[in-house]
Amino acid sequence: MNDETFLNERIKVIATFSDGLNPCKPLKFKRPNGREVEITEIGLRYPTTQGNRMVHVFDVTDNQADYRIELDAEHLTWRLTREADHYE
Amino acid sequence: MNNDYNQTRPLIMHIDLNSCFATVEQQSRPILRGRPVAIVNRRTDNTSLVTASYEAKALGVKVGMKLRDAKLLAPGLVALESDPAKYRFVYHKLLGIMSDYSSHVTMKSIDEGIIDFNESTAITRGRTMESIGHEIKQRLRDEVGVWMRCNVGIGTNRFLAKTAAGLHKPDGLDEINHGNLRSTFADLKLTDLTGIAERNEARLNSVGIYTPLQFLDADVATLQKVVFKSVVGQWWHQRLRGYEVDDVSYEMKRVGRQYVLDSFNLTHDQIIKRLHHLCESVGSRMRAQGKSARGVYVYAKTYERGVWHASFMATLPFYSDQTIFALVRQLFLDAPDHIREIGVHCYELQDLEINQLSLFNDQIVRERRTTDAIDEINKRFGDRTIHSADTLGTGIYVKQKVPFGSTRYL
Repeated sequence: MNDETFLNERIKVIATFSDGLNPCKPLKFKRPNGREVEITEIGLRYPTTQGNRMVHVFDVTDNQADYRIELDAEHLTWRLTREADHYE
Repeated sequence: MNNDYNQTRPLIMHIDLNSCFATVEQQSRPILRGRPVAIVNRRTDNTSLVTASYEAKALGVKVGMKLRDAKLLAPGLVALESDPAKYRFVYHKLLGIMSDYSSHVTMKSIDEGIIDFNESTAITRGRTMESIGHEIKQRLRDEVGVWMRCNVGIGTNRFLAKTAAGLHKPDGLDEINHGNLRSTFADLKLTDLTGIAERNEARLNSVGIYTPLQFLDADVATLQKVVFKSVVGQWWHQRLRGYEVDDVSYEMKRVGRQYVLDSFNLTHDQIIKRLHHLCESVGSRMRAQGKSARGVYVYAKTYERGVWHASFMATLPFYSDQTIFALVRQLFLDAPDHIREIGVHCYELQDLEINQLSLFNDQIVRERRTTDAIDEINKRFGDRTIHSADTLGTGIYVKQKVPFGSTRYL
């Protein structure tokens, strides 16, 4: 019903850090299988915590699918945790 | 007739993110924008909708409807499981924006709040409420996302501000003042007024009141002595005229949690484990509010639509998950079979300080220290890092859901 795939992939991300309300903007990421995804819109960025560790969640899209990528603020690592290419 | 309406400047603003969770999901997942979306707490056809997007509502989908029925009305309906972290973030964003305009902000639930401008700065009060309303709408789009919309209502009291916020959904901005009160009420039904549902409507109908205007024109004696038979009638008389009667806060009386079982053929032991999970959740919420309890109440609803409940009142206040569960388990021995839903509540809450020496102080202090240490570890390393071995594995079923109606745990 919820056509989401739950993942836990380490990804490589190109992002810009600047000023403004949403200073961190991921632009593109590369999955372990070599596929590159170009982000066309950041839907929502919100912080969550895993205990005391802050993780920034980015719900993004490339216009083909929606993705959730997470930046671990302690380890500065990125993970792809969800993908949905269609909804029923 | 206009003379007894509140003619002061309307300085109460009600802000409401209608279809909040669905709108946030559409913001978060651009592919879903413009499509009918429903938010559910569990991915089954038998579940009830927590909320629906405007696109779904336009097709006749209503909140509380079974997902199965909603799909018949809206064939392309996308059902998503609720994502509380996301909604909590938007709630805090909205609260932050509102707090920039006044120190008197009250959140009524996760998706609506009130700004009282009566004591805000002269600079803020020097602006029109309408311009502030438009600014808040724009800030919500800038600071959360372009798909976010909210309704803004302005009035002399909370009731009129909320009524105004409901006039032009989903992106309205309206003011109700003494000048347009009658014309606004002329376009509404009795049940459009917050607080008037079927029972109150029937009461009003019984004395010949069928419209908000007739309600407005009713005299205080009729409302107090005949319709509501209490001071509530007088409050309605004041409320409708724009005088504030709802600026009251209520103390927390109970902490509880309920859970619809994930399967119809669970054994008694499996149900007890889920009950234990609820006890841990209730205990942790209660302690986070700095409270202990003396009473515990447990209930079960069966598939035959029966309701069983039992309660226990202790002499001394209790505090730990273990004590809550020990009491609940004892009470649950009398529970019936074929259970569909379970719930646990703690009541007779009191502050945590130990004021009186007890003969059992050592034992109580030891229990409190252990519980505090567990809470501290869970706060630091994440919820349920330490929990009872009995509830190992129940976490995938009994998930945290959005607390509607209360912003206490957000």
